[in-house]
Amino acid sequence: MLARAHTFTIEDLHTRHVTVEVDVRRGLPGFAIVGLADTAVREARDRIQAAILNSGYEFPARRITANLAPGDVRKAGPGLDLALACALLAASGQLPPQALERMALFGELALDGAVRASRGTLAIAHATQRAGLATLALAGGRAHEALLIDGLRVLVVEHLRSAVRVLSGGAGDPVPARAAANTRGHVSADGQAPVPDPGTTDLAYRDPAALDLADVIGQHHAVRAIMIAAAGAHNALLSGPPGTGKTMLAQRAASILPPLDKREAIEVSRIHSLMGTEVRALAVARPFRAPHHSITAAGLVGGAARGCVGEVVLAHNGVLFLDELSEFARPTLEALRQPLEDGRVAIARARHSAVYPARFMLLAATNPCPCGYAGDGERCSCSETDMARHRRRLSGPLLDRIDVLANLAPEPERELRAPALMSSEQARARVKRARERQAARLSGERVTVNGHMDARMLRLYVRLDERCEEMLRTARRRGLLSARGEHRVLRVARTIADLGPSERVRARDLGAALAMRPDVALAASRAA
Amino acid sequence: MSSSGRDRGTPGACAICRRRSWLLSALSGPLDFCARDRGRLIELLALADDELLRAVAGRRARELKSRYERFQADEPAPEENAGAICRHRRGYPPSLRGPAAPHMLSVAGGARRLVKLTGAPVVSIVGSTVASDYGIQMARSLARGLAASGVTVAASLADGIAVAAHAAALDAGGASIAVMGGGLEVSCPARRRSLYEQLTRAGCAISELPADCGGRRWGQLAAERIVVELASLTVLVEADDTEGDLAGARIAQALGRTVAAIPGRVTSPLSRGTHALLIDGAKLIRGPRDALELLYTHDARTDQPAPQAAAGALQAHTNLAPRLAALLERVGAGDDTPDKLTRDRGDCAEVLLALSELELMGLLARGDGGRYLPRDALPT
Repeated sequence: MLARAHTFTIEDLHTRHVTVEVDVRRGLPGFAIVGLADTAVREARDRIQAAILNSGYEFPARRITANLAPGDVRKAGPGLDLALACALLAASGQLPPQALERMALFGELALDGAVRASRGTLAIAHATQRAGLATLALAGGRAHEALLIDGLRVLVVEHLRSAVRVLSGGAGDPVPARAAANTRGHVSADGQAPVPDPGTTDLAYRDPAALDLADVIGQHHAVRAIMIAAAGAHNALLSGPPGTGKTMLAQRAASILPPLDKREAIEVSRIHSLMGTEVRALAVARPFRAPHHSITAAGLVGGAARGCVGEVVLAHNGVLFLDELSEFARPTLEALRQPLEDGRVAIARARHSAVYPARFMLLAATNPCPCGYAGDGERCSCSETDMARHRRRLSGPLLDRIDVLANLAPEPERELRAPALMSSEQARARVKRARERQAARLSGERVTVNGHMDARMLRLYVRLDERCEEMLRTARRRGLLSARGEHRVLRVARTIADLGPSERVRARDLGAALAMRPDVALAASRAA
Repeated sequence: MSSSGRDRGTPGACAICRRRSWLLSALSGPLDFCARDRGRLIELLALADDELLRAVAGRRARELKSRYERFQADEPAPEENAGAICRHRRGYPPSLRGPAAPHMLSVAGGARRLVKLTGAPVVSIVGSTVASDYGIQMARSLARGLAASGVTVAASLADGIAVAAHAAALDAGGASIAVMGGGLEVSCPARRRSLYEQLTRAGCAISELPADCGGRRWGQLAAERIVVELASLTVLVEADDTEGDLAGARIAQALGRTVAAIPGRVTSPLSRGTHALLIDGAKLIRGPRDALELLYTHDARTDQPAPQAAAGALQAHTNLAPRLAALLERVGAGDDTPDKLTRDRGDCAEVLLALSELELMGLLARGDGGRYLPRDALPT
């Protein structure tokens, strides 16, 4: 007899629909799984047999063939166990087969028949809904992830026996209490207030409320620069001696970005769910990734192993922060060029290739010179050779994609008691308004923020008056701006005007953008 | 003053002087050993060939002596386009007449151009190799103003002040002379390659050593002596109180040339040397205007009046809007970051705009760490 069940497998960042077909017929007893299954799936044979027997069902002593369709998709992970077991029970007549047609099953089986949660639940739930299946049955451990998807019926099955009951028309197990609770930085599906969870260690879900721009004392110029960068999604470089608050400021950048919208939230949550992070609620805070400078190119963009995504993908829709930029290996930084340009990263390896979303805002921090005190009078002890080496490490293609340079100077002591420039909430509100203006202006384009405008859009949307044109001409004549540098200045000037708010780009907007342009101080040699 | 067949490649230098040049490069090692003592090195360079051989060749004296005598036979053909000029030719820089002056100079950019450039008044700019932003800007300001007034700037091609002076002189459309510490191309560091190319297009690079002689410490010191001997005025821009930073200025003083210095902050170690020199009686100058005045009052060769220096910068200063002038003065007084300038709750965007405007006018430059600094001294 033949039975069919539906489940999903995870391939890189995508979920693939898998139909499990189980045929039980007369013949030499045996259990074969065919259809490009990996080791974890083939090991399912023994788990399923033990689970079925330990749950009090009969494991048919016949020839059992399980086929996982489509045959060209590699099936991975233990999440297929539940579907296999249920299809087997239906094929051996211990379960009505009709219910299996309308439902997706996902979970790993323990030998005693208990169902365990598997990674990627949110993505599976999302895929179930898109595949047109109304119901998803899965373990309680991560049911809360599936509950985040609107319009999907989620049935919790804690045991194989519960699954049989559900498939026979019975009710599911109760949803575990903690699935309804929220973690920091998240809003649950039912919109309840967040409950602090001291156990959360995941950097991506840093509590935005705990890191506030109001903690940054002084450094008003740099705070403004970061706000401008956030408002236009410009990549920014923070430069300053040790102890001036570069890292502190960067960590607060995510807190002034507007919250994720629903589509972005699902994208972000899916990625983190697939990477094994437990997702307890849709992310509202933007991801903030801060890899250590010893990271390799594969670690940054992914591709070390199949399905292993890099930091740029984990930072999708959020902030990628590279502290001590000059310490990163050159090839690692070179690998950032494509994601910075296209908002995605294409990985091609010998045995697989994949394209991942990777649209993030790059924040980098660096010392102005190897000793860190360049420009600080006599404190800098670097020779010109040191400086040249430092600049060479920073300059080049990566610096070409940075729009805003924020310099931080040591704050005199009296400034340490000065008020902060603004709180994250105030900054976020201004950023939000500025982004709304940009989105309205760019409504006909495929981009929504100034930072992503290309040369054509700049011509179309950044109109300059005669005084501004003259300023640009002078800057070009003096060799302060290259063609690319001019584009960057125009983008930033447009954002500063949007923050104003002003519909026109005024001289003061352009002047401020020029003052924040990244080249000279770092890229050009000091003397020559 | 032979002009034998083998002299075709370097038409401006006689065999005797080329042999001297070869001898210096052959004695490069022992001379480097003497480079620790500036006075001794200068004394050695003032010796005649055979005395020099006796003084420093040591155990290799006999071997070098025989090679010296056979020199004409195994001397390699000089590079095609690098000109040369020796002390026996007309047009050889008249200022190079001291006892330790070089006997010949290889010239990248053409001997004829060197003759022309040294016909004009020459000012040498010397200073520290690890200069501060202030020093760099003052060197640039000085070189820019002098070059724009038709004065030739001379400096070595060492890091810091010297390189800044060359770059600014070339930027201003003028010409400068770079004295190399070794063979012309060989001793040019890779990072100075483009500056060197620029130099040889508008000005020239010179060396008393043959093309294949690598740069060494004694060569740097020897180059410094040529730099200051070429010029009738030597300006020390920024220097610590060390032998290396002060070498040029001290040699100029020993030669009896006019020496001037641009003052710095008394709290900076990079002002110790300049201030020591000022106390010793060097002239205090603030920029190209003072330098020109000094040059044309002390240089007996010139009977023409001093030209108006750095007209561009001066004009920009005088026509400045009051708000920009006030800001420029604040930057010069030490409020050099946007944060410091908006401390009194001024309009941040207006301050940034004013800073950018001043930068576009060429009155401010952005230095390391995002600090702004004036590119010229304040007008008087």
